[in-house]
Amino acid sequence: MPTSSNNEVLMELSGVRKTFGTIEVLHGIDLQISKGSHAVIFGPSGSGKSTVLRCMNLLEEPQEGSIKFLGTEYGPGNGKDDVKRGKPIELRRKVGMVFQQFNLFPHLSAIDNLALPYRSIRGGSVQEAQERAAHELNKVGLLKFATNYPSQLSGGQQQRVAIARALSLDPELMLFDEPTSALDPELVGEVLAVMRQLAESGMTMVVVTHEMNFAREIGDLNVFMEAGNIVATGGSDFFENCTNQRAQEFIGSVL
Amino acid sequence: MMRREEEGVAPINFMWHLVWDFKWDLFKGLLTAVNVSIAALILSMVIGMIFALARMSRFKVFSIFATVYVNIFRGIPALVSVIWVYFGWSLLFGHNFTVYQAGVIALTLLYSSFFCEIFRSALQAIHKGQREAGMALGLTRGRIFRSIMLPQATKIAIPNIGSMYIGMIKDTSTFAIIGMVEVVRVTQNLNSTYFQPFVLYTAAAGLYVVIAFLVDFIFRNVELNFSYPPQGRIAKFLSRKKKKRVEGLMKST
Repeated sequence: MPTSSNNEVLMELSGVRKTFGTIEVLHGIDLQISKGSHAVIFGPSGSGKSTVLRCMNLLEEPQEGSIKFLGTEYGPGNGKDDVKRGKPIELRRKVGMVFQQFNLFPHLSAIDNLALPYRSIRGGSVQEAQERAAHELNKVGLLKFATNYPSQLSGGQQQRVAIARALSLDPELMLFDEPTSALDPELVGEVLAVMRQLAESGMTMVVVTHEMNFAREIGDLNVFMEAGNIVATGGSDFFENCTNQRAQEFIGSVL
Repeated sequence: MMRREEEGVAPINFMWHLVWDFKWDLFKGLLTAVNVSIAALILSMVIGMIFALARMSRFKVFSIFATVYVNIFRGIPALVSVIWVYFGWSLLFGHNFTVYQAGVIALTLLYSSFFCEIFRSALQAIHKGQREAGMALGLTRGRIFRSIMLPQATKIAIPNIGSMYIGMIKDTSTFAIIGMVEVVRVTQNLNSTYFQPFVLYTAAAGLYVVIAFLVDFIFRNVELNFSYPPQGRIAKFLSRKKKKRVEGLMKST
């Protein structure tokens, strides 16, 4: 089973199968994410990399398989064991997610995009929620845009607000689903800078991306997927010392 | 007019002063129409929203019930609906509604089915990423609906609610048949005394048109206040205090 390092395992997928209609898009995925590691999932379109990510916070409910997170089992399991299963909402409150299309709430200002979920989950006063929101916006360098609405922000700024929104809920794990794919080339850098900063701070991250240079820079667990399977995995030397021919071809064509 | 006199037919005498003389009667009729239609608007929106949720429900029983309801009442004309509610109900159950109650119920039955469709399409027009973002943050289903879906759906629905409301006001004209003293009934009464159909019905038409313009103006303002960032005066005024506080936070952080 692929592991990133010898640290404590934070999330473990075992035998995750997912079908859409009659098509099986994940054929039993096993993956371990260690605390503090930065996993990068890459591969051609339709290989199932986004689906794996969306199974990690149960936005997609797998048909079979288990997601073990902080000692609790989520997902349907294999149908034989009688382990108590956690509720998806409990998992999602500890796992942050950043989407390709940002998915900010367009009817709320930047600060309220953070403060509304924070207050809804943590309770407390509006003042407290906004103080926390302001603190997080400041960390991604967008405090001066706190009263702007998403339509008044650039793509890169929107994505940074989305990252701040996920971080404001103190997640144990951050999932990034092609966070720079919808951005103008000029704006990719500012988002990657925020993600780099986050990686350096020790946050556990799983990133689905086509930015291979960024993957090479931060990835200490590299996962190459094709046609619903994990084909090859490796540590930070993966890009230099990968032996899998298909993965080599893919890396060669992208880099 | 000269021609008619030459032919020996009595000249038409347009008694436009009637409109002025009976302005208060016409105005009271208009108030009745507005009163009934606003009560029905509020009820239809509430019921329509419930039916919209039922129609999108995972439970087949609810969605089938809502679909049947919508298709029945979308198809019934207001005139038929109000006669059925006013006369039919008392025949069947021996309970008499007042004219006002019958009007509100008849309109609500019809328009709740239209509002069901308006709200359903507005909720379905919201990008699915919005719900997913709410779920990924760990918000409850109720919170996602109240704080994310509903505000965005309302904004999408506002122009349609406006045009539906104009339709509702016009449909109150059929309530003359059960004796509600609204614009058409007032016009009919005056006409039976003065026999000035052209003048009186032109006045009635004018009143409906004035209301339509007014409703359009109001709903365009409501839409402005619901746009993001808010552009209307009311929304700006309401968010002023909030903006000040955030600006204070921006300085202190």
